[in-house]
Amino acid sequence: MNKAAFYDLDGTLLSGNLVSMHAYYARNDRSPVKSVYQFLKVLLSVPLLFGLDLYSRSLFNVVSFKAYRGMHRDRLIGLADDLFEVTLKPSIFPHAQALVDTTRQLGYRNVLVTGTLDFTIRPIALHFGIDEVICNRLEFKNHIATGRVLPVLLAEHEKARSVREYAAREGIDLSKSCAFSDSSADVPMLSEVGFPVATNPTRRLRRIALQKHWPILELREGSPRFPSFLKPANAAKAF
Amino acid sequence: MRALTTWRWNPVLGEYESGEPQPLRGTGEISAIQAFSDKTMLLLGGTGFVGKVLLATVLDRFPELKHLVVQARRKKNLSGEERFYTETLQSPPLKVIVDRIGGESVLRRKMKVVEGDLDEPLCGISPQDIEELKGKVDIVVNLAGVVDFDPPINESVEPNVYGTQHLIELVQVLNAKLVHVSTSYVTGKKDGRVSEDTPIEGYFPDRDKRPDETFSVTKELKWYQQFVEETRATRGTNPKPVRERLREGGLARADYWGWTNTYTYTKSMGEQLIAQTPGLVYSIVRPAIVESSLRFPFPGWNEGLTTSAPLVMMGGEGVKDWPVRKDGPLEIIPVDLVAEGILIVTAAVLCGMNKRVYHLASADQNPIMLPRLVAFLGMNSRYKHKHKKTGSRLANLWKAYVETEVITVDTLQARRTRLHRGLDVMHAALTLGKTLLGARTVDPYLKSLRDTRRQIRAQEITLDKFLPFMIHNSFIFETRNIREAARMLTDEDLKRLKWDPETIDWADYWVNVHTKGIERWIPPMFATQRKK
Repeated sequence: MNKAAFYDLDGTLLSGNLVSMHAYYARNDRSPVKSVYQFLKVLLSVPLLFGLDLYSRSLFNVVSFKAYRGMHRDRLIGLADDLFEVTLKPSIFPHAQALVDTTRQLGYRNVLVTGTLDFTIRPIALHFGIDEVICNRLEFKNHIATGRVLPVLLAEHEKARSVREYAAREGIDLSKSCAFSDSSADVPMLSEVGFPVATNPTRRLRRIALQKHWPILELREGSPRFPSFLKPANAAKAF
Repeated sequence: MRALTTWRWNPVLGEYESGEPQPLRGTGEISAIQAFSDKTMLLLGGTGFVGKVLLATVLDRFPELKHLVVQARRKKNLSGEERFYTETLQSPPLKVIVDRIGGESVLRRKMKVVEGDLDEPLCGISPQDIEELKGKVDIVVNLAGVVDFDPPINESVEPNVYGTQHLIELVQVLNAKLVHVSTSYVTGKKDGRVSEDTPIEGYFPDRDKRPDETFSVTKELKWYQQFVEETRATRGTNPKPVRERLREGGLARADYWGWTNTYTYTKSMGEQLIAQTPGLVYSIVRPAIVESSLRFPFPGWNEGLTTSAPLVMMGGEGVKDWPVRKDGPLEIIPVDLVAEGILIVTAAVLCGMNKRVYHLASADQNPIMLPRLVAFLGMNSRYKHKHKKTGSRLANLWKAYVETEVITVDTLQARRTRLHRGLDVMHAALTLGKTLLGARTVDPYLKSLRDTRRQIRAQEITLDKFLPFMIHNSFIFETRNIREAARMLTDEDLKRLKWDPETIDWADYWVNVHTKGIERWIPPMFATQRKK
């Protein structure tokens, strides 16, 4: 049976955040006047989003996706490469690529499981060489974003469910699979697999990881010590 | 990248739909698998852009085909066969497939390469080869022809009209059926929906405006011979080069009858020759503008400069003003869909269920409007110039942050005049500077001004060639016949051949497949011209 490595994106492989992405679209509107207006809107929404993120990640996602309302899908797809170069590529953690390469070399199928949107994910997945992606999609009416996300919104328990569903469909043995995330919101997903790894964990996830004896991995700095199931000999080659 | 989702993009409605797609079901009146089983196909023009993809598709999908005979032209010291094996088969779309089906040795058992040239009688195929092929070839698929829009008229008439005459002779000698690939644009300067039922023989685009006139290929070829002779005879007295006069003569004649250029004019004559041949079993396939592959053999394969590649490149270079119709589509169709369409038609012809004409186009079901494409060109320029490390910083900023604009032809002309006047002034100032400051200081600037001018001129010429398809006319080619033929296939066929332009996600195709394919496979046009 096959095994897979499930990756969260934000905070796990890179430090991008939704606000900087919204700011990018605002800065790159069709005319300078529109850009200024959009940018102001993003600035005003920052405190609200910050507060919401502390309260609930799902609610935070719902509100932040509202910022896409009225945008043409062509523009979102057409600007995706530039968005990646400008805001996301510089925020990739130094050792993220080595981790992704290591799991691939060890025969894991790499799968991104993330709340980020499909058009944003594409250049990221290509950059990391990840073939499969489970992500969110915006709802459009006549090519224009409505500001809602297509059901089911991928976050927390829903991520765990889609991992289970994917495993069942593709013949993946979850007990041999691994998962990487930074956030306590992903505890359900991490709990599904045999080898969960708290990656750049938040304080809350670190506490849970210690309780559950999950390995902790730091990709942000220093030389990371990959957990033993990632065979250190092979891991060393990846550097 | 595979996105795992149950949502499917509906490009026509512009929204996502849920659920798994319905499996394709056909009525089974045409069986492509049976039609190709134990048959021999002769392919002319298999070395071109569409030809290579068609060849790859046949080899990949129909192992049942008994023999495939491919005509290839000799090139300098290379025989047709050598050229085919060392050049054509090594090209990216075919290499993938040849490796997949077991390498060249498997192919050599199934294939035969014959040397030939459409300019010669019986397409230049040797008498020995003809004898060998007689009675064995079931179907001839012709993709050969010259796709230059405005060459000297003889360079278009020879392959596209006389070449078709040679093709008809060959098909008759071999006692085979014919699938002839032409172009949708034989319709000429027309607007709106173009039917597949318009009679072919005697057609000329301005017929509705001038009902008293008649068009006949025989008469037209007489005019052509006389025109070429006269033009060549006056070589001594007329200072203009003969080639240029032949080029202008072709365009003028095409325009007189209502065609957009020499290419569509000569292609229509080729079609008419086929239609007026008694007893010939044929179908004419008319693709619209053929673009990068959507899926097969891999997304983004492209090698044609007669596609929209020059426009994409100009957009990438930072051209901002685009004279296009705000309400018009660009009739494009990916090359792999064209290949599959041709095979569906071929199966229909072999089964005796064919129509005369098949348009292969997209706007009928799933139009991509021109202003959307103009916006894509702007976004590509934004991306490229934002991250560009060379060139003038100010120019890069302008090209990155100023959006593309849809304009009218009048605005285009006015802006061109202003631009050239400005360049004239700069030239005059620099020439004056040269006398005051010396050649050493000023010459580099003069050279760079000359280069810029040359680049602008090249872009203007390219854009002008595309104006008939972007602003002068707005075409929608009806595709009822190919959709009907696809519906008549068996369920098993439909797993191998698809006709589904209605599902193309144009945004993803244009940004992630087509533009990147052009940048990957086609050498830059304007940049290299500038460096020379």
